[in-house]
Amino acid sequence: MKPPPLDATAVWISREIKFPRQLFRARFSPDGHTIAAGGQDRLVHLWDLRGEEPLHRSLNGHETWLSSLAFHPTAPRLFTADYQGVIHCWNYLDENSSKPIWTIPSADRDNVRSLVVTPDGRHLISAGDDAIIKFWRTDNGKEFIRLEGHHDCIFSLAVSPDGKHLVSGDLLGTIRQWDLADGSKFVRVLDASLLHTRGEQFLADVGGVRSLAFNAEGTLLAAGGMKDAKSNAFCPGKPTVLVFDWLNGKIRSELRIKGKSDGPLNSLCFLSNGTLAGHTEILHANSELVFWKIDQPDPLHSLVNPSAYELSLHPDGRQLLAACYLSGGSSGNGARKRDREKYISNGSTLRVFSLYRQPADT
Amino acid sequence: MPHPGSTSCQSPFHALSRRRVLGLLGGSIGFGSLVQPAIAREIAKKNKQVCLIWLDGGISQFESWHPLPGSQFAGPFRSIPTSIPGIHFSELLPHTARIAHKISIIRSMCTKDPNHSTGVPRIQRGDPIDRGVDYPYLGSAVAKLLGPADPELPPYVWIKPGNGGFIAREAGFLGAEYGALALGDGKAPIHIHRPESISAQQDEARQILRERANQRFKSYRGSSEIDAYETSYRMARQLMARKDIFDDTRIDPGDRERYGSHPLGRHILRARHLLESGVRFVKVNSYHWDTHSDNFNMSQRLIPQIDQPFAALIDDLDERGMLDDVLVVLMSEFGRTPIINSRLGRDHWPDCWSLALAGCGIRRGAIVGNSDRDGVFVDGTGYDIGDLFHTIFSVLGIDPRRKKYGHKGQKLAIAHDECGPIREVMT
Repeated sequence: MKPPPLDATAVWISREIKFPRQLFRARFSPDGHTIAAGGQDRLVHLWDLRGEEPLHRSLNGHETWLSSLAFHPTAPRLFTADYQGVIHCWNYLDENSSKPIWTIPSADRDNVRSLVVTPDGRHLISAGDDAIIKFWRTDNGKEFIRLEGHHDCIFSLAVSPDGKHLVSGDLLGTIRQWDLADGSKFVRVLDASLLHTRGEQFLADVGGVRSLAFNAEGTLLAAGGMKDAKSNAFCPGKPTVLVFDWLNGKIRSELRIKGKSDGPLNSLCFLSNGTLAGHTEILHANSELVFWKIDQPDPLHSLVNPSAYELSLHPDGRQLLAACYLSGGSSGNGARKRDREKYISNGSTLRVFSLYRQPADT
Repeated sequence: MPHPGSTSCQSPFHALSRRRVLGLLGGSIGFGSLVQPAIAREIAKKNKQVCLIWLDGGISQFESWHPLPGSQFAGPFRSIPTSIPGIHFSELLPHTARIAHKISIIRSMCTKDPNHSTGVPRIQRGDPIDRGVDYPYLGSAVAKLLGPADPELPPYVWIKPGNGGFIAREAGFLGAEYGALALGDGKAPIHIHRPESISAQQDEARQILRERANQRFKSYRGSSEIDAYETSYRMARQLMARKDIFDDTRIDPGDRERYGSHPLGRHILRARHLLESGVRFVKVNSYHWDTHSDNFNMSQRLIPQIDQPFAALIDDLDERGMLDDVLVVLMSEFGRTPIINSRLGRDHWPDCWSLALAGCGIRRGAIVGNSDRDGVFVDGTGYDIGDLFHTIFSVLGIDPRRKKYGHKGQKLAIAHDECGPIREVMT
């Protein structure tokens, strides 16, 4: 039977996995059978989705919060990074193995904020607080090359669909393009400084290029974050996407949300029909999953959802995974009476959104 | 105040002036009576100064003094060893970790107010029992209870971002005289310099005329606003005579580097100069610590801005022989929640938080109190802000059990009647 057509406006939650601790990163494996996730509890969590109920196991190796995840495109390898500069490589399909295949103990001075794997699977690319992009061989974790040029921490990396270009986005709103085919030479800067704010009374820079995504054809690059931050404390801003025309490097459109969310767009995904998906954050309220047509500033559609920190597109192109916030009931200022009895951590819900009309029998 | 015998410091701000000596030995205290313990105590009290560093909004205890690595609510940063064996701070405090043996940390503060608007005044007033009066903030209280350390300088100077001016409201029922002289961005009050076109005699004549006009106005109107105006004018004139304090060309470039070029660095360095010059109480404010969102990225950026100048200040006061007489308090109105919210921030948490103290009767290298395993609630005795005020007054040589404010014939406690000093943190 022919599957229903891709339609972001018909989005619905087709699967949900609740977890008692906060997960900030979650990704589908290349075959779509596994979800890997990580966050506050320092473990790498794996859910096998093939059964009626997802089968959970975890890998222990990090000593602090997980900050980034990436799957190898063909081999059974999962790369996980943390806030203290450690990267582990795991055989995530080997249920008898609980140790990393290899480890990079200091891939960054501090937080490894982004990991990507080149489409040919040969290199893992990392970037983060030390503002240096590093390439590692995926088979043994040996450093291959490093790229310098950013002046502050790097939040985001993306490789073009043809594997020829790498882009890196930093706190200051600078996107740098590197030519992977030609010795990883620096090519040009794309100006996303709209996503960075440093008010006169601020103690710190706020915002940055939190997410980068190419469309399937490699003709557009979307950069997500927020603009017009009002302070460095609550960090409220206007969630914004800048869509660049890849050919000339100019901003083609600026996309916004219509809801109240005031946090950055930490993750973006292009769907195969050119629709762009992103997710926002908000404090103590519901946020939203947003879809845009890239030439229309206002969303095509949005779905009320808790704050989420990462989106991952299923290999079938018809499902999105989001690591979402789940309140434990103890949030807010100061302890309540019940907190004295039991003070409960906030948790997560991993939500799978199906991007087609929900069948009547589900 | 610097020790007269200290020779280690070459700072131009640190020369003990004749008027400081006179201030110390002033009143009925004669040089020959120094041997008498009561008078020696009185002199010791006159030496005491305070630097309150206020991180408005609330610094996270997990990302600073009480990282609790491996616990359920710990942040992502490393904890690092300090110069106190077995004690760790967050890696965001490397400079302070190095001088931890010179300071004390209280990890068991437990206060009552989770809101800024009510919490800040409540904390800075010491939250005394409500007797229907508007209690003074700590700086005004010390200005009243100890008076100026140098009679020719304002007793209470407040360094803050933004605008300066005379802030009378901090004095509460004590009256405008004990308000704070605020230095916007740590700079001298505007118009501090007498224009060259006006001679000293002309300036004096202007002053007399102004005072007469004020007296006349005061004779048929309420006095409070006039008092505030008079006090601010007097303080401005005092500073006009001491404009050397604000001469930035005299600042050692090495100091600039050690304290940092960010506002907190510049302001804490200015605080040191004011303390060296003889100001009794200096408050340094930094705003925007209320990290409800993006707490971890912001802590990574903000906390180094207090770590560097705080450690430099403690080192410098120690090196100059001043640390035994200058009380340094580093605190906020509360800590931040163990739980991490939907925007990866921490909310307000008065139920178990930490602060740092140093100098002036404070034990060196003491870590006082503890939390439960996850840093949620205090394990054992929690200390309220009233306890901290008892401690502060006690180390300044003021007995909060005996000393009272007088207000309209009423005797008022200077600190919460049901609290007491935190002995573990005192020498």
